[in-house]
Amino acid sequence: MRTTLAWAALRRHPMRTLLAIFGLAIAAALLIDMVMLATGMRASFRSLLTSQGYQLRVTPKGTLPFDTEASVGGASALVASLRTHPDIDRVSPSLGTTVQVSIGDRATSAFALGTTAAVQGEYLLQGGREAAVDTVLREVVVNAAFLERLGATLGDTLDVGTERSAQLRQAGRRAQVVLVGVVRFLYVPPGLPAMAAPLPALQQFLGAAGRDRISLAMASVRVDGRDAEAQLARIEAVRQWIETEHPRVTAISTETAIVQVEERLAYFRQLAFILGALSLVIGVLLVTTLVSLSVNERLGELAVLRAIGVPQAGVLQQIMLEGLMLGLAGITLGLGLGLVTARWLNTILRDFPGLPADLDFFVWSPEAAWKALGMLLIASTVAGAIPAWRAARVRVAQALREEAVA
Amino acid sequence: MTAPTGNRDGTPLLEAHDVQRRYEAGESTVHALRGVSVAIRRGEFVAIVGASGSGKSTLLHLLGAVDAPDAGRVIFEGRDISRLSDAEATRLRLLRVGLVFQRFYLMPTLSALENVMLPMAEAGLAPAARRARAEELLRYVGLGERTGHRPTQLSGGEQQRVAVARALANEPALLLADEPTGELDAATGAALIALLQRLNADGLTCVLVTHDAALAQSAQRVITMKDGRIVQDTGASPS
Amino acid sequence: MRLRFLRAPHVALLCCSLLAGPSLLGAQTPRDTVIGTPTVPLAPGRVAPSVRGIAIDERIAQDAGVRVGDTLRIAAEAGTTGEPVVVDALVRRSADPSEVARSEYRVRLHLDHLQRLTNAIDRVDRFAVAVRPEAGPSAVDSLLAGVNHVAFGFRAHASRDVAVESSRTFQVVDRFHRAIGGITIVASAVFLLCILLLKVEERRRAVAALRLAGLSRRTVALSVIAEAAVVAVLGSGVGAAIGWVATLAVNAHYQRVFRTPLTFALLTPRIALFAVSLSLVLGIVAGALAAWRLVRTPPLTLLGR
Repeated sequence: MRTTLAWAALRRHPMRTLLAIFGLAIAAALLIDMVMLATGMRASFRSLLTSQGYQLRVTPKGTLPFDTEASVGGASALVASLRTHPDIDRVSPSLGTTVQVSIGDRATSAFALGTTAAVQGEYLLQGGREAAVDTVLREVVVNAAFLERLGATLGDTLDVGTERSAQLRQAGRRAQVVLVGVVRFLYVPPGLPAMAAPLPALQQFLGAAGRDRISLAMASVRVDGRDAEAQLARIEAVRQWIETEHPRVTAISTETAIVQVEERLAYFRQLAFILGALSLVIGVLLVTTLVSLSVNERLGELAVLRAIGVPQAGVLQQIMLEGLMLGLAGITLGLGLGLVTARWLNTILRDFPGLPADLDFFVWSPEAAWKALGMLLIASTVAGAIPAWRAARVRVAQALREEAVA
Repeated sequence: MTAPTGNRDGTPLLEAHDVQRRYEAGESTVHALRGVSVAIRRGEFVAIVGASGSGKSTLLHLLGAVDAPDAGRVIFEGRDISRLSDAEATRLRLLRVGLVFQRFYLMPTLSALENVMLPMAEAGLAPAARRARAEELLRYVGLGERTGHRPTQLSGGEQQRVAVARALANEPALLLADEPTGELDAATGAALIALLQRLNADGLTCVLVTHDAALAQSAQRVITMKDGRIVQDTGASPS
Repeated sequence: MRLRFLRAPHVALLCCSLLAGPSLLGAQTPRDTVIGTPTVPLAPGRVAPSVRGIAIDERIAQDAGVRVGDTLRIAAEAGTTGEPVVVDALVRRSADPSEVARSEYRVRLHLDHLQRLTNAIDRVDRFAVAVRPEAGPSAVDSLLAGVNHVAFGFRAHASRDVAVESSRTFQVVDRFHRAIGGITIVASAVFLLCILLLKVEERRRAVAALRLAGLSRRTVALSVIAEAAVVAVLGSGVGAAIGWVATLAVNAHYQRVFRTPLTFALLTPRIALFAVSLSLVLGIVAGALAAWRLVRTPPLTLLGR
């Protein structure tokens, strides 16, 4: 009966109820978006970093992977040393640099990555084949932006050069390479032309600048059959061992990398927190205002309910039920609205220059979203509690007297 | 059909002993009741009359445990109801007292049937049972064909009959009505009076507050109030 | 390196820079502020002293307790011995939005010093070229075209193009803020409409009494709209005041977090005026809707009869 009464009270002023539901829906949508933003970057970045199974990234001291053009020498010894650690399963070294490429009269600069195909975790092959293992730069795989920029296709032969000489009007070191595969780089911005070649071939091609040097080594730590905490402890132990054994490098765990990226993107997380909190406040204010006015309007009616024997708790429940119903309707609508706006906002933020193609800002995390919506539902229900309490405490005789006067 | 319950053994159902009630109106204090004593016997049909502000509605509220006196006692079915907790008073009103108001005060968003079912739902009656009884009560008040209508779809007289049916929902021992014909025209007022008389004839104790001379005349006993005191009582029993 | 191709008549100044990492960085950007003793530029032909001077980030000075005059060791690669240098100056980073999230330390050296230290003899990353003040935009364009035509391996960019490219991040942030702003405006509009509708409906009986007393629909509607407008303007005024206080908190917080003098949030008179004007429009629209609902209802219905 209380549900019938609450539902009937909301139906009495459809325009008002619809507006309140719409207002709550916007608040809920904004809250969902902000929760998706706050948790999404972390989830997306974690998924990106762990997608190839590497938990540690070893870089030149004090740098983040490919954040600068720094590289570390003595790479063979470093990689060999890493492989001797009993807990390290795989090591994937890579060297990054910028090269000039041209085909016919089209030329561009491109990011070149030297990798070991068998263990690399930098890209996914999408067409063609891997470049053959070689110590001379002969074959490369490239991304879609590379093909598009140069108008090239699989099987084309390209000129690759580095250390350009203004006087000679040509690259200092040059090679002719065949384009054998199309790949999608996981950590390279989608619009940046990029190519990958066998690591020894790229090192040889760069001459002194690349001799036995790498920019990054990714390491996979054996963590099978352990709980999450034990896994993290083992990864951390390996990380510390690397930094102790090799003072020239910094070892970054996935957790640390996430923290560092979060520091850089702290603004968005905090903005999300503030806007999320504001959404909650708006939702609460809306429900409180609506229910308060609705209660004021119906004091006489509520007094009659009390007079005919409905207890205080009954009135309280009924009014709070109105808040709950508004909340439920608003949240249901807001869920759909939030997912649509999140898609839109994600499209905007993915335009950030320099971000990997697979990094999303807004990621649907059911647990976080349900928690947030649950919070809004509780908040909107509780928001109805103050006017509900006032309604339940109405002095029956006085309200009836005042109603008679009105 | 005998919707109401009650008997006519002549024992007091309700007694007020020197009850006083005052309330604040702005900066002044209104002495609504200045020591009223009255006894209502089972099966009586009592009309309380008097000018506006004479305290008749306040007395009715005290008799129905809607309000509590500042001084004095109200005894209902042998129990002092003047110092009940809110929950106890609410329970009493729900189960033992039926209230009818001048402005009907039906829930505008509920149908006639739902309005009548409301107190029964509150009392915990099973849905099927309350529906059956609500239909029976609406038939009793002559609205068996209009159970699904909302208050706005009913005339004033019909609304008041729904209000009477609602007041009878939990088989009360006492029916209190505050100006039940106040919003009705003469013809519908007369029909309502007839209904109340029928209820009384079926054994229900009825106490009405009214300005309506016709209604007052139909009562067995008329209590006249002035300035918070009873100035005349046509059926007062010797105490 | 010979720069014959830059010997154009309009070129007034050449500034070369070289960037190296992770341990060093050359090229002090012109906007950064030297807050300690500035490094003394080497006059042409003058021999560099045996212990060279460097400028360091104010952040390093703060974090490592380094002061002007301290001697440090600087190396091109971690784990190598490097060479001693004297801290000649401290540099405070400019209020550059593109620098906000970058937390690495920076050291500024004379170009020749960094070239020698990194074994990048006669190499630079970029030239900044200033044209003579009397040269117009067309001169810049022809210079760009000339350089890009003859200088294979180089690419010349006008500062304005570089600015556009480097501001892409902020264009994205700006679009994001606008989108959020749009959502907020819709939410505010709904909220305002809801509140005004309720506020007006709360006074149905009073309005009915006024109408029965002979006040015209127009008068009632205008009074409702006027009230809505006043509420909206007062609300936005209070909102602007809260917003202003919020900007102080936001700036203090982010300036501390990112260690930058950059202003993150700014409430300009134009923004305040926009907020108040928008609120006024929303208030009038909401008031008109509420008034329309009210005046089209007969007074007796409003009274519940």
